[in-house]
Order: sequence, then C-alpha cells, then structure tokens
Amino acid sequence: MTQSRWLTWLSPLLLVVLWEVAVQLNLLNRVFIPPPSEVVVALVKAVRDGSMQHDVVVSSQRIVLGFVIGAVPGTLLGIWSGLNRTVLALVRPLATMLYPVPKIALLPLVIVVLGIGEVSKVATVAVSVFLMVVIHTIGGVLQIDQRYFEAARVFGANQRTIFRTVALPASLPAIVEGWKLAMGFALTLIVGVEFVGANDGIGYRIWQSYELYAIADMMAAVCVIAGLGWVVTVVLDEVARLLVPWRYTTVKESRMSVVRTWWGAVRPWSYTAAIVPVLLGAAIAAQQVGLNWWLLILALIGSIAIQGGTNLMNDYYDYRKGTDTPAVKGTGGALLRGELTPTQIFWAGISAFAIGAAIGLYLVSVTGPFIFWLGLCSVAVGYFYTAGPFALAYVGLGEIAVFIFMGPVMVLGSYFLQIPTVAWPAVWVSLPVAFVVAAILHANNLRDIDTDRINNKRTLATIFGRDGARIEYYLLVGGTFVSQWVLVALGVAPWPTLVTLVMLPLAWKLMGIAGREVDPAALQPVLRQTAVLHMRFGLLYVLGWVIALWM
Amino acid sequence: MDSGVVVDFAHLGVTYANGVVALSDLSLTIAADQAVCVVGPSGCGKTTLLRVLAGLERATQGGVQLSRPATLAMVFQQGLLFPWLSVAENISYGLMTRGATPPQCRAAAREWSERMGLQRFIDAYPHQLSGGMQQRVGLARALAVNPDVLLLDEPFAALDAQTRVLMQELLVDLRRQGLCRSLLLVTHAIDEALLVGDRVVVLSARPGRIIADVTPQVAHSQSFDEIRAQPAFMQAFTTIWQLIRHEVEAQLREEVIL
Repeated sequence: MTQSRWLTWLSPLLLVVLWEVAVQLNLLNRVFIPPPSEVVVALVKAVRDGSMQHDVVVSSQRIVLGFVIGAVPGTLLGIWSGLNRTVLALVRPLATMLYPVPKIALLPLVIVVLGIGEVSKVATVAVSVFLMVVIHTIGGVLQIDQRYFEAARVFGANQRTIFRTVALPASLPAIVEGWKLAMGFALTLIVGVEFVGANDGIGYRIWQSYELYAIADMMAAVCVIAGLGWVVTVVLDEVARLLVPWRYTTVKESRMSVVRTWWGAVRPWSYTAAIVPVLLGAAIAAQQVGLNWWLLILALIGSIAIQGGTNLMNDYYDYRKGTDTPAVKGTGGALLRGELTPTQIFWAGISAFAIGAAIGLYLVSVTGPFIFWLGLCSVAVGYFYTAGPFALAYVGLGEIAVFIFMGPVMVLGSYFLQIPTVAWPAVWVSLPVAFVVAAILHANNLRDIDTDRINNKRTLATIFGRDGARIEYYLLVGGTFVSQWVLVALGVAPWPTLVTLVMLPLAWKLMGIAGREVDPAALQPVLRQTAVLHMRFGLLYVLGWVIALWM
Repeated sequence: MDSGVVVDFAHLGVTYANGVVALSDLSLTIAADQAVCVVGPSGCGKTTLLRVLAGLERATQGGVQLSRPATLAMVFQQGLLFPWLSVAENISYGLMTRGATPPQCRAAAREWSERMGLQRFIDAYPHQLSGGMQQRVGLARALAVNPDVLLLDEPFAALDAQTRVLMQELLVDLRRQGLCRSLLLVTHAIDEALLVGDRVVVLSARPGRIIADVTPQVAHSQSFDEIRAQPAFMQAFTTIWQLIRHEVEAQLREEVIL
C-alpha cells in the first residue's frame, strides 16, 4: 500500500477522532452534534431491535422495484431510438425536455394521481430512472463508430445479428454508465420521497429522528444510507465488469476484480472449522429457545474473521520465510502471483483480527464475562500453539488443544450466546466435531512424521511411531462417528443427525489410505479429504439438528 | 464477361451527395487468382472503389459485376476488429453470420489463430494486442470465410515499418499456400503494391481514372530483399512514382490556387 493510500484512510479517521474529541471537550454541543460514539450506539440499538433492517429492506425494495420498472423499458426504448431515426425524432425531444425537471417536484402530482401508497413512491423513482436511462442509452447507441456496422455488413451480418453483435455490445458501456447514474439518483430520490408521507424506510427514519430531535439516530440512518449507496456502487461495478468485460481487461492478462481477487485469496467459505462449531452451538440452543439471528451472524463473522486473520498472518510469514510456491491456493499463492502485495496481506490480517476483536468485545458486553474468559483462553492457546518456550504443537499437545478449543469450547461459546448458561449437553454434542477437527491436524502430522522427527518437532505421531499414529487416525475418524451414534442412542442427539452416515464411505476410504501409505505425497490427499470430511460431516450434523427443530 | 474474370468494374463513377466526384468512368477487371494492387495519391478514390465492391457505397454511374455469387471479405484500415469480441470470436465472425455452429466457429478460430501465430491470444480482447497482432486477426477474420475476392483497404498503413514488412510477407506467404485467391489491395505505398500485386493499377488524382496498368516483371518466388534488388522492381517503382508524383504536384498546385 502506498503512502497516498494511507492518507486517504487517515483523513476521514482523523475527522471522526477530532469530532469525538471536540464533543467530549464540550467544544461542540452534543445536543446538536452528538459524538461518533453515540451514533454507533444508536446504530447498534436500531440494528438490535430490528427496526433498521426493516427500514433498509423497505427502502431497498422501493429502489430496486423502481429501478427495474424504469431501467428495463428505458434501456429498450433508448436502443430503439438510437437505431431508428423516426423513433429518435419522437422520443428525444420529450426525454430532453423532461430530464431537467427535478423529479422530486413531480411527487405531489404523482401522489394526486396514484395515491400516497407504495405505488407513488416506486413510480417516482421509476420515472426518473426511466428518463435518465433513456437519455444515456440513446447517447450510447448514437456514439457507436459507424464503421463497426459497415464491417459487420461486409461480413454478411443481417439486421438481427448486427443488433446482437454490434449495436448492443457497443452501446453497453454507456448503458451501464446510465444505470449507475440512475441508481445513484434513485437513492437520493427515495430519501426525499420517504420524507413525505411514508411510514417506514430510511428517509422516514431520518425525518422522524429530526422531528424527535434524536440527532444520533438521524446520523445513524444517514450512515446506513451512505453504506447502502456504497454497496450499490460496488454491485453495479461488478455488473459492469460482467457485462462489459472488454473494458476491464488490462494488457497483461484478464484481471480479476478486487473483490474477486480477495474472495478467491482469502477463501472464507473454506473456514469450516470456524463455521461448523458456531452453527452447531446455535442449532442446539435453538431446540430450546428462538434463535437470536443477530448474535449468531455476529459470532459467525467474528469466528471467520479470527480464522481469516490467522491464515493471512501465516501466509504473510510464510511468504517472508519463502516457503510457499505460486501454485499454493489462498492468499499465499495470490501473493506470489503478484495479485496482492505482502503489505496488503499484513494489514488485511490485522483488520480481520480487529473485526474479530471488536465483535468479540461487543458479544462480551451483551452476554457477560463467561464469553470473555472463553475468548481469552482461546487466544492464549492460539498464541502458545506455536510460540513460546512450551509450544503446544511441538510437545505433542496439538491434537488435544485443537480437540478442546475447536470443538467443545467453540460450540459452548456459540450456545452461550443464545442461552447464557453453561450446559454440559452442549459439550457432549460437540464431541463428534471435536474428533474430526483433531483428525485434520493429525492427518497433517501423519504426513509429516519423518520430517518432524528430523526437526525434533514432537507430535503425537512422532511419539507413537507410524503404527501408533495410524491407530490414532482410526480412533479420531472412527470416534467421530461412534461418539455420534452413542449420543443418538442415549437420546442426547436427535436421530435425524444420522444423515452423517452418508460420509461413512469417505471416512472408510481415508482410513484405508492412511493405513497403507508412507509417502507424504500419497498422504497429502488424506489431509485435504479429512478437511472435506470435517466440512461435510459438520454441516450434515448441523442439518440433522435443524431438521429435528420441525419434529 | 470473360470466364476467368471474377470482378468487373464497368464505367464506374461515384459522385457523393456533396457533389464531390470520387471516381469517374473507371473500368477494371480482376481475374481469378489475381492480385491487383491499386495505388494513387491520397483522396483519389481508391478506397471508394473498394467500398463499392463491398456494397458499402453505391455507384452513381456504371457499376460492378461479380462473375458468380462470390464471397467477399475485407481487411480494414487499423483492423477495425470488434473490441467486445475475443480474438476467437472476431476470427469466426464471418462464419457465425453465415450460420456456422459455435463448435465450427471455435475450430476455425483455432485453425486460423495457429496459422497466424495467435494461438496464445485466442481468448484475449483486441485492445490487449499490438497493432500488428490486431491486423493478423483482421486478416484471419477475412480469410476464415474463404473469400473469392479479398479486399484490403490500406491494411498495413498504420503499422510501424518493421511490422509492415512482416505483414506483407505474411500476406504473400498466405497466397503461396493458396489460402487467398483473388485480391484487391488499395495502398499508397508503391513498394507494397509491387511486392504483393501481380498487377499494379495507378489512379490519377480525384476524380480517379486509371493512368497506368503495370504488370511488374518481378520474380515473386524470391525473398522480399531479393525482389527489391531486381532491376525490374526498381524500374517499375520509378515509373509509377513519376506518374503519381506528377499527380500529387498537380493536386498541390490546384490547392494553392484555390
């Protein structure tokens, strides 16, 4: 990241800090200008009681509906006008004449005609989107270089083919640009429309906060609409990349968009070890109480962020040590292919930890100190896993640490968020997941048994020897299934969780390979497939609990 | 019409709507498997000649006749590839419009990209290629339809000098392989016309009339450097240059007076 990139982050941050300080020092009157911290509190409150989500959904629906109703015919009419002189002569003067009219000025008229309900709000958005899209589309079609039409004709294209292969793609960049502008406009417009005669929506929320003099609530809503605008921009940029790919490829190679590069590099969907225990804890709790989705989603994001941060930091240090190759998946590979820079990875890791920590602290503030101690222990174990004089992973305690902390502890934590009691059943129920997550680590140690011996790295595998290590793998994978059957037999886990039986063949195959092979290359698939087993077994196990909810 | 004749321009005249006379009373025939190059001062109506044949411009007198339903294809100045289509889609464009299935198009694109040394760029977009590479795609797009007559409108004028020579050699080489039959190339470069053409037609300044029809007695079997060194090449070059020079000077005088 260059210095100027830093500065672009610094100035808004500085503004927020100055603002906060100025209010805290009473330089600004907090009645009129509440500090950012109060805005955040107001935002969290509105999100927790669900009213903010409701307003966002309502406003989004109006925007999206109005946009579609306006943009689809607008695009079609625009293309038609661009290609046909008669239609152009009819349409363009009207569009040009109506275009400068501020659309919000039409709202009273629209209300008179269509009433004050949803229809008038959507219609106002649709009309302005329509006009904007028509004008941009006409412009896009008219600016096409006529020589492309000639080339197409020389090569035997008929009217339909010319439309499909020249007129449409050549005008698409301008059309998409028009969509973007119209969408931005729709966002502005909906707020104004909701100021007047609405009972919900972001604009209504802003206006109502103003009337109640709840400035912090008002600012929270403004932040949300700004965020919505940002999301819309990102989405439309992605749409543009999809529809107009030839505009976005650099000379060197087809370049993935920033979002896709990060998504592909960070691979959040592969973090099943972070996802499965959280889902399981929530699923168990849901058997007794209604689910608090908000806390579950926060816990998931936090858990993924922590694992993401760990992975990013590992990749960063591996890169520094030079152990990865470009073929490696994930950020390590992206680093070496030059798609991402080490500094980006480092700060992404720090940001992920920061997100995880922020969510963690919030969860502590909501549910009490138990989560705090649980989290502190986890962080300590995470740190001492490979660091310090008594690194757990190097004295043969790795499997046990992983078994406890990526099994019962995480499940219990997620359960505790839903029902703030320490429930032993949650611990028992987590055992199958604990076995299979430990099996992943052990598959790694089994593969590396010889090199670990040379490097004096003590794992259970090097302590037990190859035969013992094989038996340990059988026990861990077997334990996954057997422990679950015991739970079902005892009535602790519901019988639909037995859907996990479909994973038995894979487990059997893996045990076969682990018991046969010595070569690390042949054992590599065992490691990868054990991770797959963990993911599929875990998700099916959770599915079983979810099915049980309806029985 | 003579059975060996593919294209027959008869007393062709083109007057634009603004009154400019681009061509007047021009008669020219192109025989099967003949490479005809048209040179002339700029603005003499060379390109108009091609555009009439391609059906992009209408004759105001006389006209052009094809001996049979002939397939035409054109290589444009600066390539004029479709920027939104990949190299493969550009190459197979003429096949696609004629109803070829996607697998057929893909196969043709692969064949032609290999022939043109483009196989690494088959999925690239035109703007990712250099000018020379783009014009190879333009050539492949035209030849992929297996045209009876290939029209080339100043195809290499926008390229740098070295690339231009390589492209001219490529074109001659494709003709030797029999991949390109009759050819009508419009250019302002006399050496290009002599290197590529079996026949060189010299046009006067506007309105374009034929002032010379030269069949250079150069041996095309040799390399370009050897052809250039032949006395026949030098002589033909000088003759044509004197004719064009006269026209250009006349044009300049006229402009000064105006």
